[in-house]
Amino acid sequence: MTDAEIIDRLKADLGGKIVELTHPAPRRLFLKAAPGDLLAVTGTLRDKYGVVFLSTITGVDKGETFEIIYHFSTPEQDFNLRTELPRARPHVESISSLIPGAVLYERELQDMFGIVVDHIPDARRLVLSDDWPEGQYPLRKDWKHERPVEVIPGGES
Amino acid sequence: MKFQIPIGPQHPALKEPISLRMTVEGEVIVDADIRLGYNHRGVEKVAEEKNWTQNLYLSERICGICSHSHSTCYVQGVEKLMDIAPPPRGMYIRYLVSELERVHSHLLWLGVAGHEAGFDSFFMYTWRDREVVMDLLEMITGNRVHYAINAVGGVRRDLDDLQKAKVLEGVKILRERSVYYFRIGASEPSFVARIAGVGVLPLEKAVALCAVGPTARASGWARDVRKEDPYAVYGELEFDVPTADTCDVLGRVVVRVKELLESYKLIEQMIHKLPEGPIAAKVPRKAKPGEVVSRYEAPRGENLHYIKSNGTDKPERLKVRAPTLANYPATVEMLRSGFIADIPLIFAAIDPCICCAERAVVLTSARSGEESIVRLGDLRRQALERHQKAPLKRNAVWPF
Repeated sequence: MTDAEIIDRLKADLGGKIVELTHPAPRRLFLKAAPGDLLAVTGTLRDKYGVVFLSTITGVDKGETFEIIYHFSTPEQDFNLRTELPRARPHVESISSLIPGAVLYERELQDMFGIVVDHIPDARRLVLSDDWPEGQYPLRKDWKHERPVEVIPGGES
Repeated sequence: MKFQIPIGPQHPALKEPISLRMTVEGEVIVDADIRLGYNHRGVEKVAEEKNWTQNLYLSERICGICSHSHSTCYVQGVEKLMDIAPPPRGMYIRYLVSELERVHSHLLWLGVAGHEAGFDSFFMYTWRDREVVMDLLEMITGNRVHYAINAVGGVRRDLDDLQKAKVLEGVKILRERSVYYFRIGASEPSFVARIAGVGVLPLEKAVALCAVGPTARASGWARDVRKEDPYAVYGELEFDVPTADTCDVLGRVVVRVKELLESYKLIEQMIHKLPEGPIAAKVPRKAKPGEVVSRYEAPRGENLHYIKSNGTDKPERLKVRAPTLANYPATVEMLRSGFIADIPLIFAAIDPCICCAERAVVLTSARSGEESIVRLGDLRRQALERHQKAPLKRNAVWPF
């Protein structure tokens, strides 16, 4: 199926749920949906378009909101599904019931951005260490790394 | 009775820091869990502070084996953002290095697989032959590990006729050797018995858990970014995507050996088709605001970089997804219902990274404790001398 055909079909199938649909390069489609429609759109993509492979989930800090992008692909096209969450209440539904491989990336999202993924089957930390302080999310733009003061046991000699 | 055995973060059987927690019942693994983050360096955060050129070298240092994969994936995204097309000669040289890197990575992996399976002569053979491709890489790029051949807009070094001839010569030797490995791998009964049926990952599980690269292809899922999303020069070249349907470590060995043969085909085509002209284009310092999803088939599978630009000389966001990460959920599945003795083999079969290439050897004198740096050639000469001076050892006869 060519890109143009896919776009027409997507518009017919998901008309109301897709807020924005762009096609910046061949084989690259960017879709935007409301956070509430995320599961429905993913389900439709999986069942009607054979989208079973999730490459990763990207989080972007846009100040007032967090944008998250799900990078799906089929052998013909890349589907990049994005949604925006308010910074004050960053909650998103887990898609792991549809795509089990998504858990890893959802855990990474929780670690790095402090986005809460509801109904995630495994909410433990993934990349941050166990003694990492609560409420510190390194990939948020307002987070700055401060090197802790080095204490030499016994003082400097 | 169930026990939990921690393997790692530091363990002789693992080549990188990662914690595997095995729940075992007797010898059988009933559950596995992976804990990451022991090597987390915050590269994505650092990238937001560096400019487009500096990030090229930063992304090269994400991995020690597929270093070229990350820098190429990054640079092809940045070139799209800047809306420039590198000259064809530069593109061919860049992806020639990509394929040579795939060859070195797969040969390295074959050696590790042989070693983990207890077939050490295979390990020594493949690693000896790997030196051929390492020498080619050093000749083309000047480096053995971090090639630093990429530049935004092309490559940094050109290729002359003598070098082209040397590459073709090297590929000829390597192809001969790989065909030999293909025969060994397919007919050595003890090796085959050790790896067959180990670490089974059925196709439907590979699909559900989003496995990538040779791991997915060994389960019969023919996905290769070079084929389905032909970036740069791959649309002009001929190659196949090898798969296996045994879904085990044996399949992963077969797929990788077949991929080696495909890579030789690609290298020869690239050398023969190498166009004339400049190798790099002039590039702006800043990129227009925009975003790009760059995909690349690394030796271990799909590599994905998402780059977002805000109009300055630094990226707003650089997201990296390396192929090993994508294969972890599949690894947990492979380990389930396997044996403890299979853990290193199964874990090595997804090809996690090892760092290599220490060129200078520091010798410490046993008597005085003095340290001296010795060149590889001198070390070899010393070894030969010592060997010649030991006639007893050389001509030793079994006493019966």
